[in-house]
Amino acid sequence: MFTGPLQALVDELGRLPGIGPKSAQRIAFHLLKVAPEDAMRLAEAIVDVKERITLCPRCFNVAEGDLCAICSDDRRDGTMLCVVEDPRDIVAVEKTQEFRGRYHVLHGALNPLEGVGPDQLRVKELLGRLDDEAITEIILCTNPNLEGEATAMYLARLLKPLGLSVTRIASGLPVGGDLEYADELTLGRALEGRREVDA
Amino acid sequence: MAISTLWLSDFRCFADAEFRPDPEGLTVLRGPNGAGKTSILEAVGWLATQRSIRGAARDVLVRSGTDRAVVRAETSVAGRAVLVESEIPVSGPARTQVNRQPVRRRSELADALNVTVFAPNDLDLVQGGPAGRREYLDDVLVARHARLDALVTEVDRILRQRAAVLRQAGGRPDSAIAATLDVWDERLGAAGTELAVERESLAAELTEPAGRAYERLAGVAQPVTLEYRRSWTGDLVAALGSARPDDVRRQVTSVGPHRDDLDLALGPRPTRTHASQGEQRCVALALRLASHELRRGDLAEAPVLLLDDVFSELDATRAAALVELLPPGQVLLTTAVDPPPVVHAGRVVTVEGGRLTGVPDAPGVSGATEVIAAPSGGGGS
Repeated sequence: MFTGPLQALVDELGRLPGIGPKSAQRIAFHLLKVAPEDAMRLAEAIVDVKERITLCPRCFNVAEGDLCAICSDDRRDGTMLCVVEDPRDIVAVEKTQEFRGRYHVLHGALNPLEGVGPDQLRVKELLGRLDDEAITEIILCTNPNLEGEATAMYLARLLKPLGLSVTRIASGLPVGGDLEYADELTLGRALEGRREVDA
Repeated sequence: MAISTLWLSDFRCFADAEFRPDPEGLTVLRGPNGAGKTSILEAVGWLATQRSIRGAARDVLVRSGTDRAVVRAETSVAGRAVLVESEIPVSGPARTQVNRQPVRRRSELADALNVTVFAPNDLDLVQGGPAGRREYLDDVLVARHARLDALVTEVDRILRQRAAVLRQAGGRPDSAIAATLDVWDERLGAAGTELAVERESLAAELTEPAGRAYERLAGVAQPVTLEYRRSWTGDLVAALGSARPDDVRRQVTSVGPHRDDLDLALGPRPTRTHASQGEQRCVALALRLASHELRRGDLAEAPVLLLDDVFSELDATRAAALVELLPPGQVLLTTAVDPPPVVHAGRVVTVEGGRLTGVPDAPGVSGATEVIAAPSGGGGS
């Protein structure tokens, strides 16, 4: 046990994901040592993020102010919607610069073992958007694991009857990689999803 | 594939021991009960599969009074020497390395050391419930291909997810629960059917070698049949659909690959109910020898065959037949009784109280059995 405030800091840090008791102590002692303005900057950043960052009421991406940057950008294509599990997935898709439509964040995937069903995801909100917006195509961009695939299947069954174009992202090999280093499963999937070569 | 040298420290009753089995054939580990014979097979099994062939918890593998066991083996794979090491602490994860590199995937380990195990409790394959027989099939599938390994894992996870939905429904499903169940049913339908098809073709593949092994062991030409029996007929998704009202009420998944069975028969008679104990033992052993033979065909290198306490299950004729008909490749066999006379004395190692002592190797066999007694005095129980 450390003296009052220091122990409180160690305890709080220890609650963060990926930080064990040893790391929590190391960070706490580091903060104790640094210049006061450095520590204050960290404290302000934490306060700021909690005060100023909200979830976009439309797509549930992180937002500063009302709508998120993507929802409030008029140049985005309002007919295409990319459905992802997590706001971090938006960052990943945005980096590709291949997608010019808008997003919808589910905040998770179907996982009954963890108590996550459709009601715990932003599915109702997704259906609501179909009424309000002129969406014609939906890309299901959930993770390629069992829960992500189940979520995609669930949404496809819900959305297809509404006359929308519903697609699922492909799985395959990393670009610029070597075949010999690919794991058997990924390579197998890539073979399954092979394409005719234009010649 | 063969083990050239096995080192144990603080593993079970062995404080410190080194064991050099014959790389190209049979080595018999002989000793009284509780001497540590099976522990040697268990150590080899641990290196290959990261679990105990006796189903023992990890902490009992560590010699009492110490906090970690180390098992190390030099294997020879296609003429290349490979070092496989595993450190097993009483608590916390075990660390396993191949050629001093941490093992990330099971296939990396399988490339360095592969085993087929026959243990006395394998009689359960014949006498016990269907779970053991499904596991027997799945173990071969998982070892065969990463895709099948992933398939077995996926089916298991889908079943657990479906069970969770059924629990949440609490006997009264609303339309939202029904829509979620539809999704899991569809996933189970695809993966479950694929698994059943794989198990069916494996059972068909095993029938011939199992029959051959049985005939050699029992000395009677009686066909052994392995027939995979699905718990549903027709389309699995449809079967899940018609079972749903019951499933929801009882909160179980009543059809699927987890309810299938492998029917074993000797001639026209089902082995579980109509075969003698001796015949059942022979069938169980024949099943292991059959899967060993398939895997020998799959792999460039034959797996090491581990036979635990196998003579106690067989009469003298059958024991001699087993020894004479062992497949090529390295075999480690434990026994508490005298091995049949066909076993050369040079292939017998005596295990007693956590120590190994052996007779020098057979004349003319180079690099055969040679055993060094445990140098440390602290050995044994």
